[in-house]
Amino acid sequence: MKLFFVACILALSLGSAFLHLTLPGKQSELPVMWWITADDHYKQEIVTVFREWLRDEGLPDVDLRIDNSNQDATKKLVQGVSGVGADLMDLYNFQQDLFPATGMLLDVTEEGKRLGFSPDDTYPALRDDITQNGRQYSFPRNTGSALYWVNVGTFRRLGLTPPPFRWNPDEFEALGKQFVAAANPPGTRQRAYFVNVVSLDVMRRGLGLANFNETGTTCTLDDPRNAAVMERVRKWTVEDRLLPTREQDAAMAADISGSGSTFSHFDSGRFGLIYTGHWAFIMLRPRGTFELAAAEGPQDGFPNTEMGGGSVGVYAGTKYREHAVRFLQFLGSGHFNRLIVRQADSLAPVPRYAQTDEFLRPVGRENEWPVHQAFGRATAETGITVSKSPFVLQSVVYRLEMEIYESLLAGRLTPAEAARQMGERINAEIQQAVRRDPGLRALYEERVVRQSHIEAKRAAGERVPAAWVTDAFHRTYYRVQGWLEPEAQP
Amino acid sequence: MNNRRSELRRTLTGVGFLLPNILGFLAFTLVPLAMSFFIAFTDWDILRHNIFRRESLSFVGFENFTWLFTHPEFWHYMGNTFFLMLGLPFAIAGSLGAALLLTRVSRHPAALRGALVLATLVLIASGLVLLAGGMAEMGVWFIFGLLAAGMLVGGVLTGGTIYRTLFYLPHFTAGVATFVLWKKLYNPQTGPINFALTPVLEQFAAAVQVAAPVFAVGVPLTAGVLALLLAGWQVRRLVRQWDDAAAGSVAVALGAALLALPAGFLLHWLGMARPLATAGVIVVATALTIFIVRRPRPWGPVCARDAGVSAEIAIGLGLVPLLLLLAAGVALGAGLPAAAAGGIQPPNWLGDYAWAKPAIMIMALWAAIGSNNMILYLAGLSNIPPELYEAADMDGASSMQRFWHITWPQLAPVTFFIFVMGVIYGLQGGFEMARIMTLGGPAGSTTTLSYFIYIEGFETGRLGYASAAAWVLFALVFILSLLNFRFGNRNAND
Repeated sequence: MKLFFVACILALSLGSAFLHLTLPGKQSELPVMWWITADDHYKQEIVTVFREWLRDEGLPDVDLRIDNSNQDATKKLVQGVSGVGADLMDLYNFQQDLFPATGMLLDVTEEGKRLGFSPDDTYPALRDDITQNGRQYSFPRNTGSALYWVNVGTFRRLGLTPPPFRWNPDEFEALGKQFVAAANPPGTRQRAYFVNVVSLDVMRRGLGLANFNETGTTCTLDDPRNAAVMERVRKWTVEDRLLPTREQDAAMAADISGSGSTFSHFDSGRFGLIYTGHWAFIMLRPRGTFELAAAEGPQDGFPNTEMGGGSVGVYAGTKYREHAVRFLQFLGSGHFNRLIVRQADSLAPVPRYAQTDEFLRPVGRENEWPVHQAFGRATAETGITVSKSPFVLQSVVYRLEMEIYESLLAGRLTPAEAARQMGERINAEIQQAVRRDPGLRALYEERVVRQSHIEAKRAAGERVPAAWVTDAFHRTYYRVQGWLEPEAQP
Repeated sequence: MNNRRSELRRTLTGVGFLLPNILGFLAFTLVPLAMSFFIAFTDWDILRHNIFRRESLSFVGFENFTWLFTHPEFWHYMGNTFFLMLGLPFAIAGSLGAALLLTRVSRHPAALRGALVLATLVLIASGLVLLAGGMAEMGVWFIFGLLAAGMLVGGVLTGGTIYRTLFYLPHFTAGVATFVLWKKLYNPQTGPINFALTPVLEQFAAAVQVAAPVFAVGVPLTAGVLALLLAGWQVRRLVRQWDDAAAGSVAVALGAALLALPAGFLLHWLGMARPLATAGVIVVATALTIFIVRRPRPWGPVCARDAGVSAEIAIGLGLVPLLLLLAAGVALGAGLPAAAAGGIQPPNWLGDYAWAKPAIMIMALWAAIGSNNMILYLAGLSNIPPELYEAADMDGASSMQRFWHITWPQLAPVTFFIFVMGVIYGLQGGFEMARIMTLGGPAGSTTTLSYFIYIEGFETGRLGYASAAAWVLFALVFILSLLNFRFGNRNAND
């Protein structure tokens, strides 16, 4: 037994040693860097072009490898704060404020300025996504506003006129009802929906309402405008059935094997419109040539589109800081931006590449031209990133908002109650965070004072210094309404 | 000296063998456990306390617990956890039923062979009819048909051995795979469950419309009469238990409260305000208790006040859901014709707030029937002395009498163990199902405490808060286990 025991230990030790010696880092003569992203041929092409760019720039080569298995946000977070994060990681949505807050991303402010990938080198609207408290932590890899994609062929087949680029909720509802009636034969179970999703944010912003106030100190969703928007979308979902619930959408996704079910349903006419970013081209192009158009989300009053996308951050614990930072520099280069334009994986991070003929009018893809132009226009003119508060995580806001909105859909809350609960619960989270974190408390107190100054100035009909307004929506809204003081010219 | 050296060597060898396990236990169980207790009283937040941001931890006393208990969502998720546990008695009954069936098959294979062959042929023919009818896309149907047929054929040929293995299938099939499969089964549009339910519900709706008055009056009337009969049976049973000194005053009060509970729900569903309905429950339960415990016992007070509590809990677990169903029949029956006017749609299982929890309970029931519980019952059944059955046969006992007076009491230790473990797993469970099938929705209806702990700890990063929730969960498990051990019937001869 003792011998057997010793033999087991030896075998395990040898196995461990073998595993260690066969690790990629031990095999490669170059520094091996890991990038957490999807492992598809688009990303592999990016890796290839990155190494070409390094060569062209006369920079030392690296072995950049894709880590496909740790894309889950929780995995990234737990690995990152435990000291074993990947060198580079894609950041989406709430990761863009959560990860920098933990300190696990490298502050690249100085390198960004020096190497040409600072916030000034991309869309101004993206500043909030890639910076936190004035410091830069990432650079966009792909971006753009989300719009409705219109399958013109589906509308034509049903004898309907496709929607205009800009429309209000009444027009949306009228066309949606026509579509659902035409696409679902009488007496059959509903299989086709007008749209896959409606953005509550776009509709609220159309009415001049954001999730937070100008300084992010208070959630402002306890507002009749929010209640009205939620009630309208509830009616579209439950009564008019213009769009599926989240679960119905998931059930539709289960009808199709593999990924990209939304695009299959768009292709087959089960969705008249799908709401997503410009990146959808990489899913639609392989499906053939569509006659396409694009439309904004329905809104009253203030035209706006939801802007976002993915960015890449450098892990603070990386062993290859210089190489990793070079990757962000590469994202701002012509090599990368032209590649993104060619791949049509969203808009390139540097705005001027969305104004080129190569982007707007790709040869041999005339059916795509209206969509490229619509996305270029929306991103540049009406794109606004999500409203964030430094005092509450976006993931918490999203979870609470979804849970309460679903309670409304389930008939457990009235629209007014839902709006009130959203405000109360998100504000309770803010208060809890401020009470616990002394650093945050100081910032909060400073901003509360600033908020009162903003309100006093607005009440007096005076303009407000642009630097006071930190919320992405309010900054744009104030600028368009002419409520901002003219910025001092350097 | 040699002896001492030899003893020391043997001890060291023993410790050497145990060391890997001890180290593993220390590293992955004991130390994290102690740390989580410590963390529960701090403001540990991944955002501020990690290897990159080393802000000092603050001791916050019971603040995490206060925050937890004043949060409506915590109570909501705790309610979900307990609601899902209502399926436990049915799961126990299911696994016992499966074990009894398997024992029967293995004891009398010849008697069942003809029936099994016939059932196999019917299943295969059903599959062929479905295929011929253009149902090829319903591959799941076909797969299930073939699986069932295979089980039956296997059962005939092997006399039950293959059954035991196949019934155990849910236990050793990867959880994720079964959850994905059930998600497909529950698909409201293309899932086989709704595919099968649709024509049944259509026929039912047509029947309701044709005979609307019969259903409008008949359903609530029948449900009401059945509920009254059931309630009457329980009252009579409580009186007898009291008279026989088999139940003390605590047990009677509990039995009365459990009986009055569905009445409270009925009053609320009929439009009475919740406080009034609650008051009604309290009044009825109190009156019934007083009525019973004031009865003089023919043989004097010979039992403890808490005697019979376990029996009342066990009966209540079966009785309350049944009475609730009947109460729903009373409350909703009258509106049935109106509801059927537009046709009755099958449920949106995982997407509807009211159906999501029952859908998960049904899946859990399926998994529980073919689980370790069934194996434990099989082992328990094989340990019952055959002479007890022989004696019962000689006395002319029926099958039901054999079960109630021999099998069920003899299985008491097994049932007790299964119940205790079921309560523990039930309180800790629900994470995988929520994560894979519903993401805790819709509207948080399937978020259990364990999923909530995961969200708070690893998505939001509030480790202190998540640890506090975990320790509250531990306290719940501990208290309920204590109650089980205090009141549970774990001896075959009790």
